Amino acid sequence: MKSIMKILLRYVLSAAGIALILLIINFTVLIIWTIQTGEISPKDYSISELAAGLSKSNGIYTLSKSAQETIEKRFQWAMLLNNEGQVVWSKNLPAELPLKFTISDVASFTRWYMNDYPVYTWHHPDGLFVLGEAKGSTWKYPIKVSQKVMENTLLWIPAVLILNSLAAILLALLFGLRLFHSLKPLAKGIEDLAEKRTAELLTTGLLGDIAAGINKASAQLTQQEAALNKRDNARTTWIAGVSHDIRTPLSIVVGYASQLEDDPELTPAKREQAGIIRRQSERIKTLISNLNLASKLEYDMQPLRLDSVALAPLLRSIAVDFLNSELSDSYSIDVSISENTQNILIRGDKELIRRAVSNLIANSIRHNPNGCTIKITLKKELNNCLLAVSDNGTGFRQKTLISLNHPRNSLELPNHGLGLTIVRQISKAHGGSTEFHNLPEGGCTVILCLPIDCTHAGRT
Amino acid sequence: MKNIFDCKLLITDDEPELCKMLSELLHREGFIKIITAPNCQESRQLFASEKPDGVILDVSLPDGDGFSLLREFRAVSAVPVLFLSARDEDENRLLGLGLGADDYITKPFLPRELTLRLCAILNRTYFPAVLKQNAKPVFSLGEIKIDLNSGSITTKKGQLTLTAKEFALLEKLYENRGNIVTGDSLCRAAWGDDLYGYENTLMVHIRRLREKIEPEPSSPCYLLTVRGLGYKLTGIKSK
Repeated sequence: MKSIMKILLRYVLSAAGIALILLIINFTVLIIWTIQTGEISPKDYSISELAAGLSKSNGIYTLSKSAQETIEKRFQWAMLLNNEGQVVWSKNLPAELPLKFTISDVASFTRWYMNDYPVYTWHHPDGLFVLGEAKGSTWKYPIKVSQKVMENTLLWIPAVLILNSLAAILLALLFGLRLFHSLKPLAKGIEDLAEKRTAELLTTGLLGDIAAGINKASAQLTQQEAALNKRDNARTTWIAGVSHDIRTPLSIVVGYASQLEDDPELTPAKREQAGIIRRQSERIKTLISNLNLASKLEYDMQPLRLDSVALAPLLRSIAVDFLNSELSDSYSIDVSISENTQNILIRGDKELIRRAVSNLIANSIRHNPNGCTIKITLKKELNNCLLAVSDNGTGFRQKTLISLNHPRNSLELPNHGLGLTIVRQISKAHGGSTEFHNLPEGGCTVILCLPIDCTHAGRT
Repeated sequence: MKNIFDCKLLITDDEPELCKMLSELLHREGFIKIITAPNCQESRQLFASEKPDGVILDVSLPDGDGFSLLREFRAVSAVPVLFLSARDEDENRLLGLGLGADDYITKPFLPRELTLRLCAILNRTYFPAVLKQNAKPVFSLGEIKIDLNSGSITTKKGQLTLTAKEFALLEKLYENRGNIVTGDSLCRAAWGDDLYGYENTLMVHIRRLREKIEPEPSSPCYLLTVRGLGYKLTGIKSK
């Protein structure tokens, strides 16, 4: 809507600008034309010159040659009235005109016409020089303007300009509002498209075509979205289905393998082999449950059970769970939680965060079979908390590091397993980010940056 | 019925191999009367005719689902029912437990876990040890004898009593003997809250507890500190 208001404003202003510019151009043209006509006519002829061209010698009037030519070319006739109103000299005088004029006649024709002939008069030493033009050739109107108006010219010209601009703005606003009203549904339609809502606009009116286009685009988007969702759904359902179907056979494998493992009649070597079958089957179980979780997280199908999670106790309990689960003595887990994060709360799914941190610890253990020191640290940075799991083991391979930090396709099956992908997805689902680094002194660190729950600033 | 192994068990699962595996597993464990059904219909018939004392039920069955079957069973009987399902979604687990199942185990499962859970349920149902459970443990740490019934400690020098908080802490540590218990868990046991704000209080109480149970409180050998995490009770001899 904002942009439409901008368009309207610009439209109104430009309309006012156009009106103003037109007005100025017109005025200028008018002024130039007036000056020009004023300048051209005296060059062509001047009634004063013509009047001066009529001279009297020995009682006979003679017209100069140039004056004679001008009169013949431009006018019809000429005459000279003496002060008594009698025609004392004339040239081509039409017969219908009288040879004597009263004062009122003179007053009348100087302002208007003489028997429909437009006439011009000029002072002559012997009286009044009168020039007549052809009938219907010139339109005469004497202009009278009050003195006051002429004196206030500087005031009223700008006033007229301003009034005109105001009128232009008002009109533009009126028409603009009409346009605005017809554009508004279109803008809303486009907004709907952007927000992934369905746009259904009326396709009547001036902009009906555009509305129809928007409707069509909306329908296509909806269709595409549905197709995309369907595909994602199908993929996730497929993975869920496979992981479901694999569970029963796996149960049987684990069941028999465990029985063999505990069978006292078998040799220790055979029992150990059964143990390997069981452990590997459990790995398959972890793998499929990871695959299932990863695909659900990727397509936002894993419901997050959001709650206020106190991170410090959670991290301690995860570490203790690992330490209590017969972890070899070659591994040690240190938990270091800075004082200002002891009571930190985040909004999250406790089980998923537990999963992420457990995955990281398990990863360190798996990749360092000869033992390592695992360090879990929690720090606060602005409105985020930095949860880092580090070890002093072998670290990531350079290639792995790049693909972890810059995943091309988030669900490509990485050769380092899904554990770390899930960590990244869980962090993302909580509005956080994940960084994987190798440490200069050896080993690696994975840092989860999770936003702190600001609604609960912390307990006292 | 003399013990839980006299219980008659009904296993319902559409996968015959799994039924076979379970039967063998439970036989080995000591159960003698085991019957199996591959679908709802047979399960219903066997349930009515055989009147089992315990039921292991799959959720996905060819002619229906375990949830509705459980509803039918529950309408006529309170027999223990344990779900064994490939569906691991929380909704399914909650649905099953909400319908009144005694447990919900997802496949693949550890055989040992299944038998332990089953025995526990059967024990609770048919041999409720209400009196036995009320009896709190009595154990020894070196030469010191601790009786959690009276909250008393008998040493060579004489008898000491535990304060309420010391008792709560020691009981929690004893329940998890041999394992690390986080400071948070200990605080929840004693004060009903997480560690934050109670660190010093917890340390004071642990020191007092050590003065009572350790021969040399400054270098403890039974109640050990796990730095940054919590405490651990070791070296227990049960009586």
